[in-house]
Amino acid sequence: MKYVLLLTQGAWQEEGSEESKGEVYARIGGWFEKLRADGTIVDAMQLQPPHTATTAVIEDGRSTLIDRALLEAKEAVGGYAVIEVADLDAALAIARSFPVPDGKVEVRPAVEH
Amino acid sequence: VSEAVVEALAQWPERGVPERPGAWLFTTARNKGLDRLRRERTYRRKLELLARIPESPAREPDDRLRLIFTCCHPALGGDAQVALTLRAVVGLTSAEIARAFLIPEATLVKRITRAKRKIVVAGVPYREPEPEDLPERLTQVLRVIYLVFNEGYFTTSGPQGLRRELADDSEWLASQLVAWLPGEPEPLGLLALIRLHLARWKARSGPGGLVLLPDQDRTLWDRERIAGATRILERAASLGRLGPYQIEAAIVAVHCEAPAWENTDWPQLLELYSLLEYFDSSPVVTLNRAVVVAQVRGPRAALELVDGLRPALERYHLFHAVRASLLRRLGSQSEAAEEDAAALRLTSNPAERAILAERLEFAQTHESST
Repeated sequence: MKYVLLLTQGAWQEEGSEESKGEVYARIGGWFEKLRADGTIVDAMQLQPPHTATTAVIEDGRSTLIDRALLEAKEAVGGYAVIEVADLDAALAIARSFPVPDGKVEVRPAVEH
Repeated sequence: VSEAVVEALAQWPERGVPERPGAWLFTTARNKGLDRLRRERTYRRKLELLARIPESPAREPDDRLRLIFTCCHPALGGDAQVALTLRAVVGLTSAEIARAFLIPEATLVKRITRAKRKIVVAGVPYREPEPEDLPERLTQVLRVIYLVFNEGYFTTSGPQGLRRELADDSEWLASQLVAWLPGEPEPLGLLALIRLHLARWKARSGPGGLVLLPDQDRTLWDRERIAGATRILERAASLGRLGPYQIEAAIVAVHCEAPAWENTDWPQLLELYSLLEYFDSSPVVTLNRAVVVAQVRGPRAALELVDGLRPALERYHLFHAVRASLLRRLGSQSEAAEEDAAALRLTSNPAERAILAERLEFAQTHESST
């Protein structure tokens, strides 16, 4: 089955030394590399920070623009990964292995046609 | 509980499996053969209701184990886990479950439908958890069974017969879990806990409604069931891995073994509550321990402990009820009266008050002994 992992920002990105952040980024890099190599991750992308976002709001067919992200910075999505695994337990195990000091990983099954 | 059991629980022994594992299951199994047959039949029928169940007849016990772990999957909400388990594993109808939980049947049906849809759409697997996930997943299953038991045992609303059935269902689930996972001590602990409570069923109601532990006629307790449940607890302890359900069962066992409320083995209870706190550091457990502390070390020591719980339990009526009784024993009558009033303000329903009081059985100590 196909799932999308929505990876939120963590407090670790705001706190701590550049050195310790660098270590976390290195671990994340290794995690993506390994899961891409074995075919688990079929697509993934890291997003620019939420303050770079602009949001279009559509109401009654008319659109307006908001100069910021949809969600609060704390919960903002920082990236995503599309994975192909046998079942939800396998997807949850991967979500829980995301190597950050703090953060959230939402596991959403994708609609497959 | 014999000294040996508490010792066994406390020291995490390596005594190994008893000589005839399994034999105890038959000797302590409840004498409800017909009832069981009925469940076997409905089980097979209801099996088809749950999504993604194999077509072939259920092979026991593997299929049932898979079934209950699927019903209690962490991807499902607590209410849905309970409903699915009662529907698919126990074989109750939606109408029966809805009546037992005092919710409209349509609500219950919607809950089950939504859960089943999530199982399919999100790809919840139909299988036992991996060994490394077992502790976490087993905790969820035990929680669901205990919730079912609580609903049957501690709720006053709804017809009594229905509640008793729910309590019996939880006992049946726990005994199944024990049979499926014979090497796991916590299902044994939960089964012992449920059976120890049920052994006191008859003594719990009187003409005036619920009868609390200190006032129960202990000759109405089912001694044989208590002895059987204690043996189960001994077996759990012999596996050498302590857990909260084993400790709670041991606490109830201590009460069951006391010839009278006044003869309760308080020092042993205190030790068990300290152990329980290690696993479950909730303020309510500490409040319970404080009441035992009052029996062992006196009201002043207990009051100090209780006062530390104020931020967490200020809105909990039994916090004030316990303070009231401790203050009374220390001679502070007016302060005690204020606390009594606070407790009353926080609970409007006398039945609920009685029920919550029994959940915190010891909190009533002082009121009944003074």
